[in-house]
Amino acid sequence: MNFSHIDLLSFKSSPSPQKPLTLAPWRKLLYIKQEYPDNYVDESFLENLQKNVNFQSFDYFALCRESTVITEHISSVLIFVAVFIQLYHDHLDPHLLVSLGSAFVFLGCIIWEWCLARPAPPMHKSFLKTAAVFFLTLLGLSPILRTLTQGISSDSIWAMSVCLFITNILFFDYSSDLTYSIQFPGSVALNAAVFACVLLASRLSTNLHAFGFMSFALEWFALFPIFRRYLKRIMPTGHLIQTLLLVAITFVLFWPISRAIAVLYMIAVFSLTFICPIWLIFIQRYKNEIHGPWDEARPKVHRFRSPQR
Amino acid sequence: MPALNICLASDFFYPNTGGVEAHLYSLSQCLLRRGHKVIIITHAYGKRTGVRYLSDGLKVYYIPGLVIYNQATLPTVFGNFPIFRYIFIREQIQVIHGHGSLSPFCHEAILHARTMGLKACFTDHSLFGFADTGSIITNKMLKFTLSDIDHVICVSHTSKENTVLRAALNPLNVSAIPNAIVGSLLKPDPTAADPEWITIVVACRLVYRKGIDLLVAIIPRICHQYPRVKFIIGGDGPRRIDLEQMRESYVLQDRVELLGAVQAADIHKLLVRGNIFLNTSLTEAFCIGIVEAACCGLLVVTTKVGGVPEVLPEHIIKFAAPEEDDLVRAVSLAIETVHVRDQRPELDPFVLHETVKRMYSWMDVAVRTERVYYSIMKVEAPPLIERLRRYYGCGQWAGKLFCILAAIDFLLYLFLEWAFPRQNIEIAPRFDHKRYVEKAVWRH
Repeated sequence: MNFSHIDLLSFKSSPSPQKPLTLAPWRKLLYIKQEYPDNYVDESFLENLQKNVNFQSFDYFALCRESTVITEHISSVLIFVAVFIQLYHDHLDPHLLVSLGSAFVFLGCIIWEWCLARPAPPMHKSFLKTAAVFFLTLLGLSPILRTLTQGISSDSIWAMSVCLFITNILFFDYSSDLTYSIQFPGSVALNAAVFACVLLASRLSTNLHAFGFMSFALEWFALFPIFRRYLKRIMPTGHLIQTLLLVAITFVLFWPISRAIAVLYMIAVFSLTFICPIWLIFIQRYKNEIHGPWDEARPKVHRFRSPQR
Repeated sequence: MPALNICLASDFFYPNTGGVEAHLYSLSQCLLRRGHKVIIITHAYGKRTGVRYLSDGLKVYYIPGLVIYNQATLPTVFGNFPIFRYIFIREQIQVIHGHGSLSPFCHEAILHARTMGLKACFTDHSLFGFADTGSIITNKMLKFTLSDIDHVICVSHTSKENTVLRAALNPLNVSAIPNAIVGSLLKPDPTAADPEWITIVVACRLVYRKGIDLLVAIIPRICHQYPRVKFIIGGDGPRRIDLEQMRESYVLQDRVELLGAVQAADIHKLLVRGNIFLNTSLTEAFCIGIVEAACCGLLVVTTKVGGVPEVLPEHIIKFAAPEEDDLVRAVSLAIETVHVRDQRPELDPFVLHETVKRMYSWMDVAVRTERVYYSIMKVEAPPLIERLRRYYGCGQWAGKLFCILAAIDFLLYLFLEWAFPRQNIEIAPRFDHKRYVEKAVWRH
């Protein structure tokens, strides 16, 4: 842009043509009258500008390791879909599903109670009772849940389920390490998943199928992520092994259903784990963040100080 | 130099209170006194609609507009063009001066003025960051308006740097002209302060940006440390509840007084009750509050943010980092200074008053602003194609969108010229300011 039409000298606050060289140096102050025009640009202009102060260079292998959280969740969603397909085609016995699910919940409880309980809040003794009441209620409700969306055509159900699972993957809380509650946006992800399960349950043949499927869904989407976060915190190697296991299970389960999806999935996992980190490191060179004295200051306050009375 | 017909446009004007409002009023009063014709365009405030005259024949147009947030109107881009054009022609306006980057009225007035081939300048009163969503949208809007503008004024050097970066301007095209105070209305009154106590005054809107979290953190500590210190807090806002909670949980009801909203006319009465003025802002382009307080003879403690370090010399002001511990340190220092104030002649309230009064006056601001007006009067209005070229440079997508907006605005202008011809618009009679001053015998 051409701004040369503003003549710098025409702005002089007081004309002093006889001594232009003896001007006092310009100071960045407003309370003194200075012999400079108001639009004067000093050499110090923008000298407090800082660029990319929060720059954090990533380590490639650390990024690869962190990306397993995403791989894990996508795998678990796909495993769930595969389980549904097997149930739908009656290749999987719902009894087996219920007993497997219960066994894992029980195992999880034992691990929580005896091995991991130290940094976490101790589990309430009545947990098993609560769980029993919960699953019995679910059993009682399963005829209603199964017929709730029966009137909707299968095509709509498939399409909506896909959208809801995508919502689940997008909103899942990957970053936090909360192990005893679910917060926004994780709650959105859980709700989307449960909604998808209710929709899918209506396509199953018997009430027992529906019950087995729903109970598995709740274990899988509500409890399993908590276990995964916990494992990642206390045993990184175990977490890595778990990821590999989940990827393998997904591949094995999907191979008979659709080879194309199984292969596509493996490619996706590979690029997510090994190519996306390179990409992230690469695009960091375009980072351009400006900071300066005009930024809103962050107040430093000692919180958590109990009021003295 | 010939007298100019100037129009100040902003959403923020009296009866609303704040820095921009005071700036518009005081600047226009001084420009009127210098022989210019000044009108102000703002949106209607409740029942206050239509044309009003304020003192010295300052004409204010209160235009109906839908207020959506914080007294800012709904941005319609073209909605006010017919009435703006009508006013500009009727009042024979030569220079449009917009105020406040959060005011859609100001942006619209500048856009239409440029379409009509009038001179435009803009004053920025606040600082913005670059990272949060709100700032990004505001900055884009600002870039649009300032792509085609004759000159920009900022209230401090820090604000100038900020605006130059936000709107990608040539720094030579931006002037730093500070705010000012009416010194004669801010005289110290040592009898008003309670001699039993050392009073710390806080006067600001009670919002996050003013650092209310810091205030909440330091008041109990100061009260605990100094049993003869009390606080008076003027202003209202969403964070008032935090202060009330703090007062309650530390049982400080008799030492922390919350006044609620304070009228602009009563601010002097509030200030003179104190010995120390405390400002905890997290961001501030100029901070007129500390200048007013210093002019009333108070010692000032403030966070060192934004343009604050440029405003007053160090012997009047005590700076602190925006941290709880450092603020406590600075306030303690000020409290100890109050005790020994009699032995420090440069800190005598009346000396302070004279010092500050000499630093800032609205007449000085008006003269410097007038200089900007005269310089832009010399600039030739760019043809439409040049204006479009400037808008096009705003960004890959935004540039094209802005071009479309500017082109539509131009077509709208042609339509208005055809539908409501210029010669049919009645020219408003000029308010004879000289005669008004001669006749008004009650004036001093």
